[in-house]
Amino acid sequence: MEWSVGESAKKYSPTLVDVDGKYTLNRLTEDGSEKIISKITITKDDNSRRLIIEHNGTIQYAYATRVGDQWWIHYDGRINVVNMHEAGSKGSDAGEGGLTAPMPGTILDVQVKQGQRVREGQTLLVMEAMKMEHRILAPNAGEVISVNFEAGDRVDMGATLIELGD
Amino acid sequence: MIPDWMVGATHPFDSVLVANRGEIAVRVLRAASEAGLRGVAVYSDPDEGALHVEVADEAVHLPGETLGETYLNSEAIIQAAKDSGAQAIHPGYGFLSERADFARMVSAAGLVWIGPPAESIETMGDKISARRRMIDSGVPVIPGEELAISEDADHLGTLAAAAARVGYPLLIKASAGGGGKGMRAVHEPRMLRTEYEAAAREASAAFGDGTVYVERLLTGARHVEIQVLCDSYGNAIHLNERDCSLQRRHQKVLEEAPSPAVTPLIRAAMGETAVQAAQSVDYEGVGTVEFLLSSRGEFFFLEMNTRLQVEHPITELTTGIDLVQKQFEVAAGMKLTIQQDEVGLFGHAIEARIYAEDASKGFLPAIGKLAMWRPPSTPGVRFDSGFREGDEVTVDFDPMLAKLIVHAPSRKAALRRLDTALSDFVALGVTTNVGFLRQVAAEPAFTNGEVTTDYLDSTSLSTFSEPKPENAILVAIAAAASRFGLDRTAGSASVTDFDDHTGHTGDPFRTLKRSFP
Repeated sequence: MEWSVGESAKKYSPTLVDVDGKYTLNRLTEDGSEKIISKITITKDDNSRRLIIEHNGTIQYAYATRVGDQWWIHYDGRINVVNMHEAGSKGSDAGEGGLTAPMPGTILDVQVKQGQRVREGQTLLVMEAMKMEHRILAPNAGEVISVNFEAGDRVDMGATLIELGD
Repeated sequence: MIPDWMVGATHPFDSVLVANRGEIAVRVLRAASEAGLRGVAVYSDPDEGALHVEVADEAVHLPGETLGETYLNSEAIIQAAKDSGAQAIHPGYGFLSERADFARMVSAAGLVWIGPPAESIETMGDKISARRRMIDSGVPVIPGEELAISEDADHLGTLAAAAARVGYPLLIKASAGGGGKGMRAVHEPRMLRTEYEAAAREASAAFGDGTVYVERLLTGARHVEIQVLCDSYGNAIHLNERDCSLQRRHQKVLEEAPSPAVTPLIRAAMGETAVQAAQSVDYEGVGTVEFLLSSRGEFFFLEMNTRLQVEHPITELTTGIDLVQKQFEVAAGMKLTIQQDEVGLFGHAIEARIYAEDASKGFLPAIGKLAMWRPPSTPGVRFDSGFREGDEVTVDFDPMLAKLIVHAPSRKAALRRLDTALSDFVALGVTTNVGFLRQVAAEPAFTNGEVTTDYLDSTSLSTFSEPKPENAILVAIAAAASRFGLDRTAGSASVTDFDDHTGHTGDPFRTLKRSFP
């Protein structure tokens, strides 16, 4: 099993050692190379869904729950998501260069055409979701490879709206 | 049975239907229960089994798929009141709360309307008529062009001429708008057309009315609003101010009372003006008069919200007055029992609106299942929500999940309490703005009390990016959680005596029919 944190593409492989129901992080690789780690020990709090984390001599609680292939973690007052990946998988192939609808909604206005060059941050299209307008912006400069919807179309979450190439 | 405190009132009632959903329905139904009133909820299909249905004594299903068929369906809601024997209707906020025709229909059906008279709603609901009434009553208004622009053939020419007279930057507002919808800032003439069209689209989508008008955009001002309370005998008082300057695209993010910018002198002047504004429309019940407060201490009327406000709890905590209970009393025809000089101001309260949204992705609304949901529950923390653990956050409704409200003796202590409460809040499974709120509340501009309404929109969002724990720790936790099998046992924890809300076992404060969200 490999892991990644949040949106980052870096892949981690941890080695946990089980000593009397306590897990200690023994090794960690980041994209295949060894990381230097400080001492982290994790035990389960039987009374609840909490974990007890010992790190650098301090003890903190963490809550963790799995949703699909994600572990949602509350630790040190912050919420983070750790993604699970089958070892050796190529990782997320979700629309490389494609801009997907972040929410189900309606396309209000398409401001670019196929073949057009756009600059970073340029508004590509405007959609309405939950009664508010959202602008879909170009994440980088590039050429519009395809425009898949027109104004008035309803789109589902995750639908590829526009494909952008270099 | 009429509760004892209402005996002798001119319009007594023993039950109330809450024509709303989510946290406000829960809030009002709980207040009804405390007041000895029978509470009736209404719900549409996606809300079957929602918290507001659970806390009600009775719930009536509203069939249909759209809001128009359900929560905005006046006829169905009045019928639900009749069928369930409810004698009064509380509209909450949003939905039908500011529909004068609904207020009339409720009264015509022989039910008690828990809200202001239809005429007050009408006058204040239309921004142009409200502005005229304020000018007539001597209430200061924002310099602007009183020009209604309808979506007809030559609207752009008319708009451009008015815009030139008002001057840039300006604000295009939909007359029927609210909650930031249908409102657009225009900083230069070439953006006028685009922003106007966006405002008109939003307004007609959300309110079915595309009429807009323009006024000067005051920069560097604060949003300060006064809570008013009026009975039906002409008595009116104010319950101090709330400062809602921390906004993103005109949507409030953090609200506090009292305002760090309001001196006792300004408070008295603003309060008096707000009461004057309310009395000019023969207001009854609780309402809010919103002002823009300039850095020089001048204030201008923005609008009046003729309903209970989302941020009402901070006023409740700092005055000790239960606003929903007061709404019940006024609606029953009882006289105000508090005089202006008896209204206190105790400590400092801050409300944080918890939204299902991703601050790192342009605040896009997020959806999903609240896989783990443990609100903070410590002294001085109030948590108003319509969600429980396991509930699904969908695109059907507003993305506000909850309101986390803290109260402390001083502003500094309230800020510390807010940070602690936000960091203790375990909300897993749906992306929320909790981390963003912590960052915003810790920024010197906010801690120093210097935030103006343009602060958030003019500050780079990277300012608020969250510090992250080391990836090594997060990966170790996830891997250990997997090895411990936390994903398999998650569902069975509730089988034990463990209380999901307080974190204690066998909680003595947990009683039947009470579910603390």
